[in-house]
Amino acid sequence: MNLTGYLNKMRGGASSPPRVSTREVLWSWLGSFLGIAAVALVNQHWLDGTDLVLIIGSFGATAVLIYGAIRSPLAQPRNLLGGHLLSAVVGVACSKMLGVEPWLAASAAVSVAIALMHLTKTLHPPGGATALIAVIGGPKIQALGWLYILVPVGVGVLIMLAVALVVNNLAAQRRYPEFWY
Amino acid sequence: MKRDQYGEPLPLDEKDIVEAMRELSGYLDVTPEDLSSLFRLAYNHALDRLSGSVTVAKVMTSEVVCIRSDQTLLEVAETMASKGVSGVPVLDDGKVVGVIAESDFLSNMGGKSGHFMEVLASCLASRPCLAAPLRVKTAAEVMSTPPVTMKPDTPLSQATETMRLKGINRAPVVDDAGRLVGIVTRADIMGLFKLSSPELCGADDR
Repeated sequence: MNLTGYLNKMRGGASSPPRVSTREVLWSWLGSFLGIAAVALVNQHWLDGTDLVLIIGSFGATAVLIYGAIRSPLAQPRNLLGGHLLSAVVGVACSKMLGVEPWLAASAAVSVAIALMHLTKTLHPPGGATALIAVIGGPKIQALGWLYILVPVGVGVLIMLAVALVVNNLAAQRRYPEFWY
Repeated sequence: MKRDQYGEPLPLDEKDIVEAMRELSGYLDVTPEDLSSLFRLAYNHALDRLSGSVTVAKVMTSEVVCIRSDQTLLEVAETMASKGVSGVPVLDDGKVVGVIAESDFLSNMGGKSGHFMEVLASCLASRPCLAAPLRVKTAAEVMSTPPVTMKPDTPLSQATETMRLKGINRAPVVDDAGRLVGIVTRADIMGLFKLSSPELCGADDR
């Protein structure tokens, strides 16, 4: 490939998809509000003062997908559960094995998580964050060790999935999921 | 018409794609351009599949008006007129030995090119009856032979190409023994150019 062709690729040229309807915006808002509220409330009322934590940053990204882009293959239960759980395993493993070189642990966690999600058809972008948080998370996260996979990741994702099933299907024009696995 | 990197122009405007994306509602994480390319590729695959799977047998007419090679041209003309056809296969012992079309009459009426207008022009120039030389002739003398024939399992794409290259409007369909089983015309093929046609969609698998 010549240099001009290479640089031309960076120009883009495709157009941005249309904006969704206001109704769609409202359902996305409602779903994500309730989804994050559910996880945050459980975290605040039952886990406060314990060593456990239920809410992590990657859930914000998951909310975008499972309440805001529910048709996307990336947002389906297979990807949601598979992507988060696999990434959590990879993240904790990298943290434990490569923790002495934090930069390597972080990059390995994210990149291996992405590769594994691709291979298992469970690509879920927030999974990358879930893997990364296992490495760069604070002392509370580090103290969880392998438990990180179950709480916050497993339980948190299940709560958000339950809210997605309940709320998304209330909307006449919505259906969730497109497929389970 | 939009031309994308995947070849043939697509009879879809980007507005159509964007409108369709709106109708589906919900956020689709794909650009209109990618959707357009996807549509084009899928459409081409469908065309490839259909052009290979639709055969002459599916579109041909099996009740064929035909004549024997020893019939006079008067009889041939009467038959063609009464049945309302513009061309007939010529049979000899059940085998297709030629085809007579209107153009074969015309080219024997002074119009060497087989054009009706040429014959008409001669008539208008007040010559004697141009059809007179035809009275004594038989089908065998004016028919196009050897005939261009098709097999029932000939893919329609191939049949279309043959008819285009040979400049013919119809071709008898014969079995392996050379016996007439049908006729396929340009009109039969053109009738297929509706994507909703059951023949094309394979709903009618005779």
